[in-house]
Amino acid sequence: MGLLFEATSAAAWMVWILPFAAALLIPAVGKISKKTTGYVAVAFALMSALSAFSLLPVALEASEIHHQITWIDSIGLKGGVLADPLSVVMANVVGWISFLIMIYSTGYMKGDKDITRFWFWMMFFIGSMQLIVLSDNLLQVFFGWEGVGLASYALISFWYRDKKKDHVGTEGRTVLGLLDYYSPTHAGMKAFIMTKVGDIMMIAGMLLIFLFAGTFGFKELMGDFAWAEAMSAQGLLVPAFVLLFGGAVGKSAQFPLNEWLLEAMTGPTAVSALIHAATMVKAGVFLVARIGPIVFALGAAGILVDQFFEIVAWVGAITALLLATQAMVNPEIKKVLAYSTGSQIGYMMMALGVAGLSAQYVDGYTAGFFHLISHAMFKASLFMAAGSLLHVVGSRFMTDMGGLRKHMKKTYAFMWAAGLGLMGAPFITTGFWSKDAIFAAVFESGSEWAMPLYAIAVLTAAITAFYTTRMMGLVFYGKPSKHIEKMEEEGHHIHEASPSMWIPYGILAVLTIGIGIIGLSAEEGIHQTFTDFLENSYGIHTVHHESGESILPGFLQGLNPIALGSSLVAFATGIGLGYIFYIGRWVDPTKFVNSNIVFYSIHKIILNRWYLNAIIYWCFVVAPLWLSRGVFRYFEKTAIDYGMNDGMQKAVGWSARVVQGTQTGVSQSYLFVFGAGLLFVVLILLI
Amino acid sequence: MEYALLQAVFLPLLLSPVAYIIGRKMGPTPAMWFTFAILLYTTILVIGAALGGTTEEHYPWTDMFGEFGFLLDGLASPFAIMIYVLSTILALYSKPYMIHKFHEQYKEEQKMTQSSGGQSTVVESNSLTNYVNAKSGLYFALYLVFAMGMLGTVLSTNLIEFYVFFEVMLIPGFFLVALWGDGPRRKIGLMFLLWTHAGAVVMLLGFLMIGFTIGSFDFADIQESEIPQDIALASAIAIAIGLGVKLAVFMFHIWLPYVHGSAPTPISALLSPAMIGIGAYGIIRLIVEFLPSTYADLAIWFHIWGLVTMIYGGAMALMQDDLKRLLAYSSISQMGYILFGIGSISALGLAGAEMMYVTHALGKGILFMMAGIIIVKVGTRSISKLGGLAGKMPITAVCAVIGALTIMGIPPTSGFMGEWILFYGALETAIEEGSTIRAVTFGLGLVATVLTMSYILWMLKRVFFGKTPEHLENVTEGSWYMTAPMMVLAGFTVVVGIYPDIFLKSIIPYMNGVLGG
Repeated sequence: MGLLFEATSAAAWMVWILPFAAALLIPAVGKISKKTTGYVAVAFALMSALSAFSLLPVALEASEIHHQITWIDSIGLKGGVLADPLSVVMANVVGWISFLIMIYSTGYMKGDKDITRFWFWMMFFIGSMQLIVLSDNLLQVFFGWEGVGLASYALISFWYRDKKKDHVGTEGRTVLGLLDYYSPTHAGMKAFIMTKVGDIMMIAGMLLIFLFAGTFGFKELMGDFAWAEAMSAQGLLVPAFVLLFGGAVGKSAQFPLNEWLLEAMTGPTAVSALIHAATMVKAGVFLVARIGPIVFALGAAGILVDQFFEIVAWVGAITALLLATQAMVNPEIKKVLAYSTGSQIGYMMMALGVAGLSAQYVDGYTAGFFHLISHAMFKASLFMAAGSLLHVVGSRFMTDMGGLRKHMKKTYAFMWAAGLGLMGAPFITTGFWSKDAIFAAVFESGSEWAMPLYAIAVLTAAITAFYTTRMMGLVFYGKPSKHIEKMEEEGHHIHEASPSMWIPYGILAVLTIGIGIIGLSAEEGIHQTFTDFLENSYGIHTVHHESGESILPGFLQGLNPIALGSSLVAFATGIGLGYIFYIGRWVDPTKFVNSNIVFYSIHKIILNRWYLNAIIYWCFVVAPLWLSRGVFRYFEKTAIDYGMNDGMQKAVGWSARVVQGTQTGVSQSYLFVFGAGLLFVVLILLI
Repeated sequence: MEYALLQAVFLPLLLSPVAYIIGRKMGPTPAMWFTFAILLYTTILVIGAALGGTTEEHYPWTDMFGEFGFLLDGLASPFAIMIYVLSTILALYSKPYMIHKFHEQYKEEQKMTQSSGGQSTVVESNSLTNYVNAKSGLYFALYLVFAMGMLGTVLSTNLIEFYVFFEVMLIPGFFLVALWGDGPRRKIGLMFLLWTHAGAVVMLLGFLMIGFTIGSFDFADIQESEIPQDIALASAIAIAIGLGVKLAVFMFHIWLPYVHGSAPTPISALLSPAMIGIGAYGIIRLIVEFLPSTYADLAIWFHIWGLVTMIYGGAMALMQDDLKRLLAYSSISQMGYILFGIGSISALGLAGAEMMYVTHALGKGILFMMAGIIIVKVGTRSISKLGGLAGKMPITAVCAVIGALTIMGIPPTSGFMGEWILFYGALETAIEEGSTIRAVTFGLGLVATVLTMSYILWMLKRVFFGKTPEHLENVTEGSWYMTAPMMVLAGFTVVVGIYPDIFLKSIIPYMNGVLGG
């Protein structure tokens, strides 16, 4: 197509090298002037995004750039970049959204004395993510993968002094006897260790594949399928891919490794936006999108791989529902958004999973990926807006807000726009089109699991609309809370955030609606690109639809009527219930919940995070510590230390007393024994 | 260069009296620079020889034991390089730490002899200077001998020579602990001497069995001759036990937390990363290379033993409050990884084990230096009394995080390059043999990495993050002598992590040769 420039492999390298270069540069710049670090970061983020942009011809022409260099020669491994439509689209999403978040951060983090460290890790984060996106082999992906984990650890516990205001959770609240209140450093550790559990699965899967295929390269794996047949014969193929998916489960906070995502809210909000929209959690989805076509191609070649896709789809579905329910009851605005992210990622996983179960791989694949893009836009916008609210109100609880729509008109409008995207407001938001595509993909997949998955998807959509409305209602409607009244009495004026903050989320909110209006053709564009891409790179053929007899009129022709209908019903139900409780405030939700024991217990279970977090802590933190303490006290300190050290000492002491008898104190007798010994040694040597 | 290895081993020994005299006459700084210069020169010799491929030197010795030689091949060179690089760097680090220690001990001794009383401050400061000079002379002399003993061990080409060097590194080690350790230092020094000496004697038994059976102690002869199965097995077990004490694997680890905890920190930083890993060198050289059929029988036991050590060391590290003891248990756990790798009968697994030695040397070296800086600057090593130090000593904190990442095996540090190769080797054998036990140990080994991560991150959290206790308000960053060496190692670990061929290039062909032949 007619772009004025051509994509080069150098640009593909630059996309991820530039952020790392900035990360190295920033500490040096910070020595001279702390203020400048922000400009350096923004400039490099922009250059990286521009490099990604210059790769767009690859996506438009469905071609690819694959460039390799020698790396670990002694094992025969090569490093390289692979720019194909998938990675180029992803690199642009990551690059541009990160760029906007970086602009926002210049306002949000203004005056923080550790600003240099902040910029260092933000750039490191972006670089690691782009490394994942553009790598051509799994080992290199793993470098980025752990880099992302490391950056998240550093940024979640960015305010490492553990001040009270930086904690999340309600102070003093316990679940199953464990505190539901986390400090930033605790949260960072939790995130790093929990995702590491996924990572060891991923590395086991990688090593299994490497053992049989002798390569980590994505292109090489598509070379010939002898390795897969050998693995399949030993029953290791599906386990290997499921283990790889385990990495994605950890990184994308899917069930059962979802619990770190909530505490990750201790980081600065700009970090949350980055984690949720562009980097980190999207890495898992990207990995599945990266290996999915390979697995599907194996399936097309007659190797049984269905279980892999079934597991992906179910993990996604369970997570989508599980986390959406919790978003309905949480009092903290950032946590609601965090739950929502996990839930939406669940949708993407579900789409990528059912894609493999249907004959039309590209449908689900496009749906999942399109949802990733639209989610990146509206979730980044929502998080940044929430950051503004926190900034202004000084509290993370929605109960401390209320009635803010008069004071913060812009934020109010943009949050509605982005929130409508999350809810999937019909016909005008990207979220609607992408969610509808997922519905259609699930519904039409023809899998035996299609119906239960579909039911979960629709139910989750209704819940999503409900909790988003709840959030808007609690924050912007009703009377100002006591907290706000107190602030105003003390002379704080509640006002709109600075332009460097609202412009970035404004842009994304407008895009959510703007692209939403042309959403269907945008989706078709991506669909076409991916059809060609899957055909060219993976040999996955797509049968063209016969969309003759649709009952839908006009521009809706291509849509599945049932999917469309249930999407509309879900949206209406959710927003309606939300309006009753939180905007119109016709029914008091607290009274409603307490009205009978069933509602009360359900509410409590959900509020206690389905007890999942507490159970994980009991099994994997409390119990091992207890066990270690026992072993330390009763084995190491007694059997080993006392038994072997002191016991040995006593034995030696005792034998010394026996030997003491020989110490006569007469030097002649010593000399005599010495001489005899010497003679003995000499004799032995001579013989 | 001719005589390069001979110089590298014996120059430090011959010049150690000079270091003593310099220290005594001129004070700690010249002694430190002198030691540093010798070690730097010899390090360059070793690296130069390693770059030139396999280097071998032979010198006449007694007829009874055979030749006295040095061999720097793919197996020995990473060990040799790491030993001398660490020794060189830690010489710099020693100065401020040891001066701090000498002052402390001087005060202690003053207290004991205070009954006389009434000295003027001039006399006192004069006698303090003399005291420090004398002690630092002795310290650096012992330091040189210690370094040379370690290098000699990994370069030996003869069983008796190996044994001699093995014991040579023990003696200065004993004195360094007994003279300048913390706590009941003489007792702990003796414990160190006795345990490792007992191990060495068991090992010597194994050596003698081999030597008397084939009539030669030379490595070259052992490699060519056929040793009867039962003798090979008995001697392999004796050697494994002897070296197991050195490696401080589970059940033989008892001396290590005491010694690492008590030794002066630069010596801990040499003992733990450089010295105990020599046990792994010994096992690879003596058992894997020379007794291949016995190795094949024993491998699964090494594998399991390694796994148990990994988990046990990690679990015990979780329970420590003393910073240096925590690192000591962590070393035990890391030695478990190495033994685990040795137990995988796979070239890459063995290569991974050796890479683990390299990365452990780098990572644990950094962490022990971190502990030393905290001891000097804060005056306590109890983790519960620390907290929030990242803001007070940023360079130390950053280096400590890099060291911690190395131990945890997170890219882009060298730890990851050791770990994935190691686990790949374990998996390879498990699949090839179709062995369930090996598959399970592989899985549990991966789980142990999460345990490693937990205790390391928890330690970092309690030392560097969180609230700063009031008594730490005035803590400052360590001096350049202490931070610069850490930064060098931190840079090195990242370089090796991104470009591991620096070491793998020589290790992998060797391991292929050993297992192929």
